[in-house]
Amino acid sequence: MTEMLQYSFMQNAFIAGVVIAILASVSGTFVVLRRYSMISETLAHSALVGVAVGLVAGLNPLWVAVVVALLSSWLIEYLRSSFALYSDAVLAILLSGSLAVAVIIVSLGGAFNNSLFSYLFGSILSVSSGDVMMIVVVGGVALALLLIFSKELYFIAYDEEVAQTSGIKVKALNFLLVSVVAIIIALSVRVVGSLLIGALMVIPSVSALQFKKGFKSTTLLALLFAVVSVLFGITLSYEFSLPSGATIVLCVLFIFIVSLVLNNKK
Amino acid sequence: MKFHLPIFEVKNLNFNVAKENILDNISFDILQGEYIAIIGPNGGGKTTLIRMLLGLEKPTSGEIKIYGKRLKDFKRWDKIGYVPQRASHVDSNFPATVQDIVNMGRTSKRAMFSGMSTHDHEVVRDAMIKMDVLDLAQKIVGTLSGGQRQRVMCARALASSPEILILDEPNTGVDARSQNRFYALLRSLNKNEGITIVFITHDVGVIVDDIARLFTINQKATICNNPKQTLSCEDMSTLYGIDAHLVHNHKHGH
Repeated sequence: MTEMLQYSFMQNAFIAGVVIAILASVSGTFVVLRRYSMISETLAHSALVGVAVGLVAGLNPLWVAVVVALLSSWLIEYLRSSFALYSDAVLAILLSGSLAVAVIIVSLGGAFNNSLFSYLFGSILSVSSGDVMMIVVVGGVALALLLIFSKELYFIAYDEEVAQTSGIKVKALNFLLVSVVAIIIALSVRVVGSLLIGALMVIPSVSALQFKKGFKSTTLLALLFAVVSVLFGITLSYEFSLPSGATIVLCVLFIFIVSLVLNNKK
Repeated sequence: MKFHLPIFEVKNLNFNVAKENILDNISFDILQGEYIAIIGPNGGGKTTLIRMLLGLEKPTSGEIKIYGKRLKDFKRWDKIGYVPQRASHVDSNFPATVQDIVNMGRTSKRAMFSGMSTHDHEVVRDAMIKMDVLDLAQKIVGTLSGGQRQRVMCARALASSPEILILDEPNTGVDARSQNRFYALLRSLNKNEGITIVFITHDVGVIVDDIARLFTINQKATICNNPKQTLSCEDMSTLYGIDAHLVHNHKHGH
């Protein structure tokens, strides 16, 4: 354990992993309560388009992923608020469309398959100090925005219409929430991978909800589950040479199953 | 009580869905301090009308003003407390204690970074006492009965210190004793605190002595300025259909 922490790449992995766990779980609580879980999957695939563009154009893939995920989140929210009845169909269309675009861009660019693979499934051990800095700073701003408006977002999650009639700017805050989620997802694709980040965002919150606590306790439980999963996931990944993203997701799934069993016994 | 300032001014309001006329050329004012009851058969457009007053539905044509301003220019929504019809249908897994829900009533009154002030806590506690939910404060709202949830939703609306209280059949599923207490509370809020009340109900007979005017909505609106007189069997039958007899009997049953 101590030997593992002597390597700078492992230090980067733990810092980036814990920060992503905090960001994903706190935003994930709002995402789950708003029944936006599918948005995280769709945005993760949109972020992949950004990664592909970044790889082909020689730009920092994380930055381009943030921009593309943001644009995609605004399009989703616009379509969702305009065509509410078909919002799940909109998400499905954008999800598969994004993946197709990403694969085409990468294949046209040629010889990037390995790089794209690391963003699909995550490669926490290759996270650089620059990546860590970006995740901490940009993620910190995103999290701060979420916390500043948490009481309004909580009210909207409970009853959007009553929140609107009490003077809360529901439309603007819905855009804010999807924007923050888009940024957090784009930052996470390097660490957990675009195919797996949705799990880190949604499963800790769903696990915490099983305990039927108030909002603060639920959010803190989700945060705890995500951080523990990331710490165990990275350690197991190092010890047994397993893929990091998938190992983290299996840890969080284990916690989910334990939460279900514990709370169904009561 | 004298009423002066119009809070809502509704002119020639129409609402169509797929060429079907849900509301037809409705005009009325609601004045500050009034207690208005709205009755009408199911599907008659009562809830649609309320939703349009709150800006949740757009009319096909016509004009709605609130405090003299068009809806889109009105900013002081924190003056309005709203309890929707579906208030008791809560996601049973939603992570909220009764305290969390009633605290939401203060959201619009609080500054961006501020927590709950002492005043906020006092107002919330007062609302919970009025709605008899103080002893449920730490209960998860999803574990409550339908009637208890309705009382919590009303407490949330009261916690916003509203000038106008709009209630859409809030006492569905509430037991008779609690209902009578609720009607007494509404009477007190209107008479003693001057809160304007707009109340969709099927139980108008019980509150007929409290209300200033009665609106009957069944595609068209009929405004009755003397509800006690209107609540004769004959008039109500014309306005409200067969339910009128039930309303009338209900009144005499209390």
